[in-house]
Amino acid sequence: MKIKSKKQKKSYSCVEEKKYYWLRYIIPALLFYVVFMAYPLLDSLRLSLYTGNTINSRTFVGLKNFIVLFTDPQKSTRYWSAFGNTWIFFLINMVMQNCLGILFAVILTNRTMKGRQFYQTIIFIPTTFAVLVTGYLWKLLLNPIWSGPTLEKIGLGFLAQPYLGQSSTALISCTLVSCWQWMGIPTMMFVAALRNVPEDCIEAAEIEGANSRQLFARVKLPLIKPTVGMVSILTFVNNFNAFDIIFAMENANGAPEYSTDLIGTLFYRVGIAGQHPIGIPDTGLGAAIATITFFVLALGVVPTLKATQGGDN
Amino acid sequence: MKKGRICFVLILSLVLLFPIIAGGTEENVNDEKVVLTLESWRADDVAQWNNLLAEYTNEVAPNVEIQFKPTNPPDYNATLRLKLDSGTAGDLLYARSYATGQELFNAGYFYDCSDIPGIQDAFIESSKAPWQMADGKMFAVPFAAVSHVVYYNKDIFAKEGLDIPTTWEDFLSVCSKLKADGITPLANGTSDEWDIFECFFCGILPNFIGGADSRVQYENGTKKLNDENFVAAYQAMADIAQYCPNGFSAVTYNDSQALFATGKAAMFMDGSWTLGVYGDEGLNWGVFAMPAPKGKNTAICFHPDTAITMNPATEHPEEAKAFLAWLCTKEGATVASNNMAVGFFPMLNEEITLSNDHANECLALNAGKETDARFVWPALMDLYSPMDQAVIKVMKGQQTAKQAADSIQALLKAEN
Amino acid sequence: MIIWCFIVILPLWVLVIDSFKTKLSIYTNPFGLPAKWNFNNYFSVFRDSQFLIYFKNSFIVVILSLLIMLFVTSLASYSFANWKGKGSKILFFFMIAGMMLPIKIASIKILEIMKILGLINTIWSLVPIYVAMGIPIGIFILTEFIREIPYSLTEAALLDGAGRFKIYHMIIMPLIKPALATVAIYNLVPFWNDLWFPLILINNEKSKTLLLGVNKLFGQYQTDWSKVMAVLTLSAIPVLTLYLSMSKQFISGITAGSVKG
Repeated sequence: MKIKSKKQKKSYSCVEEKKYYWLRYIIPALLFYVVFMAYPLLDSLRLSLYTGNTINSRTFVGLKNFIVLFTDPQKSTRYWSAFGNTWIFFLINMVMQNCLGILFAVILTNRTMKGRQFYQTIIFIPTTFAVLVTGYLWKLLLNPIWSGPTLEKIGLGFLAQPYLGQSSTALISCTLVSCWQWMGIPTMMFVAALRNVPEDCIEAAEIEGANSRQLFARVKLPLIKPTVGMVSILTFVNNFNAFDIIFAMENANGAPEYSTDLIGTLFYRVGIAGQHPIGIPDTGLGAAIATITFFVLALGVVPTLKATQGGDN
Repeated sequence: MKKGRICFVLILSLVLLFPIIAGGTEENVNDEKVVLTLESWRADDVAQWNNLLAEYTNEVAPNVEIQFKPTNPPDYNATLRLKLDSGTAGDLLYARSYATGQELFNAGYFYDCSDIPGIQDAFIESSKAPWQMADGKMFAVPFAAVSHVVYYNKDIFAKEGLDIPTTWEDFLSVCSKLKADGITPLANGTSDEWDIFECFFCGILPNFIGGADSRVQYENGTKKLNDENFVAAYQAMADIAQYCPNGFSAVTYNDSQALFATGKAAMFMDGSWTLGVYGDEGLNWGVFAMPAPKGKNTAICFHPDTAITMNPATEHPEEAKAFLAWLCTKEGATVASNNMAVGFFPMLNEEITLSNDHANECLALNAGKETDARFVWPALMDLYSPMDQAVIKVMKGQQTAKQAADSIQALLKAEN
Repeated sequence: MIIWCFIVILPLWVLVIDSFKTKLSIYTNPFGLPAKWNFNNYFSVFRDSQFLIYFKNSFIVVILSLLIMLFVTSLASYSFANWKGKGSKILFFFMIAGMMLPIKIASIKILEIMKILGLINTIWSLVPIYVAMGIPIGIFILTEFIREIPYSLTEAALLDGAGRFKIYHMIIMPLIKPALATVAIYNLVPFWNDLWFPLILINNEKSKTLLLGVNKLFGQYQTDWSKVMAVLTLSAIPVLTLYLSMSKQFISGITAGSVKG
């Protein structure tokens, strides 16, 4: 009886009953989410339509904050530069995490691989570090003053450049460190996805005479497409809000010369902390930046979701 | 299924109730003592402040206990504002000077301290100014100032046979001799951005453009920000870039301290707050004032840094006011200066001797010289970032001194 | 692979080695073994009983948040995976929208809510926030995984007369163990290493979390990095242990699932 009703979607009363039935499982999560996340966030986004910093001085100004953001020369240069930097940050992260992640996962799920658990743990260790520590350690390593003498001793003296001090190399260095730190998670997800590929598919392909490369490209890759999509979306979302790694390795200004300024740092500077050392934020403008970021992310996430999750086999 | 659902509802309600029950037992009402909290950005001074506050409780106000609750400095402004907005801030607050503090006062978060007994007489005008509104109302009690000097390694100087330079030109030749002998002359770098600007550039600026009177003329437009004195100052930064460590663009403030402390660099342009860090073991060091070019008077950048104010929403205004008033008295200020971190100087209009030799040495450098706050602080804070970036560009050779000065002047014009 | 291992191990080496040096000797030779092994940093961590309290607080907050989050999220994902109506799609997007916004901007409102609930200055104020933070991503990942489970299993159970909740409990939960472990691990690190919310919500010494306590070691102008590194080395250990135990779940879940009838 229940099976039939699932297939008969047109049956009015049964669908109704099903709808409210499923709803009740969502209620607890919904409760936490609305009270502690959705309501505060929506309320803060509402601030993008206001100006002024405190409860008393807030006045409604409509879309003025958005207009200012794009027309004021100083503010808009900052915004577009942060926007561009964030895309670079994201693209490098995306390529590295997807490609290297899949690569490592493949190596790790290879039946002939020894010490699997050991390698997996090693890959994951950086993820457990606090970002502050990662930032500090890499700042130390990438600093020619400290690493210079050691590098010269082993003949790699030319590697001792001030990577974090030159605007041409700073962003890429920070991005690579961020990849280094977060590599464990995509790898883990890809390992899970690869393990979920049904054995029969692999066996069937092997019987047909596929070598390992074809096996990977034709069989495994399409089957882990949803995971690729998931990792991409997570990378996309996390990088657009990235802040901690830049804060730890450079400063909230996106030194040097704003080359490492991301939308996350711009938002922090404008909306929460204010420019050092003045410290007076513009919460309306900050909320405007966050709102725009939200729309950009939504524009990216929704199509990707549709494209990669639609493939039900 | 019914059993499962009941179970589930039970767990959920337990989970939701537990925090509320637990939260309720946090109250720790102690009827005898009034407990105040002091918010600050000096997480390094916990030990000193605890001493100071203990003395206050023991000697002056036995029924008042003040707890020192500092926040990590980069977060102080942001978290203070959040706390004030939501009504969870402490009773006493560290106040930033000039515009930052004024804005919080206008928002109603700082108490009008003009009527605190002793505040008007205890400080000279220039000490009060940073924490004064345009109409003369004081929004905080001045507490400490810092100075900017050159730290130098006495052993290296002795070995090289160098004397303390008295003019900027001498200073440059000292640097070049050190470099020729393979020693890094200066430890400063540009990675953290604020240190090269606040300590170095703002430190030497009064030497080139003059003290407070001169600064006012720049502010009201009588003098231009790209006049020859300013260009000379930028040029000075360009000149010393070659004496900073190799790859100085990646050298952070932390690194600079380490370079100086391990003897790898001979000199370090820094603020007086580091006086307590190096200790005297293994390093023989001293300080001297940043020298002015030939023919100009040496001026010191003596910057009013900290003040303390009261949160008007506090539940214990009388006790908080009493503490502030105590800081304006000679006894209070003496106790405070004995317990202040080394390198912070009391701003009271009285003779106070400090216990640390290096601190006294540093304070003594003020004698006979003009002093001023950091140039952009009083009225030109919007120029902080552009000027900072201009200095860094000049040091990296991306701009000439003249271009840098012109760009800042153009910004000022654009604002007016 | 080997190169990657080297790249990972090098900073790790630096971290551990430097935690044994004194503050300034880090800089005389950053990458070598310490000239004089300084155990003081570690001793002071243990002597300073505050740090043990911070450890305990972090532990409680993280474990509790993870448990609650996993529970409510898996329930909700189960529902989303099965409910195919239009309302489901809207609600789904509403709930995962949360991961696209920086939660920091909501700080003021959250502070006010916590004040109303009377939870300010306690570690219980952190739990609901972390649960709410974990929900979007949890729902996102788990819904996907649950969708992958072949309907035939549910069908068989339904035929046997099992109720939906029982299906959830007996069949679905064990099968999505790897996904649960993934979500747990994914959120474990941000919860443990979070600094911002403890910073604004907790002033009380005995309620501070570990990273907030470490924050105390960062002065305005000076920082004793060797001590910081000692504390953070120690703090990485619980996280690593939790990770290892969860990844065991992970592996066992996968191997169980692969033997499909």
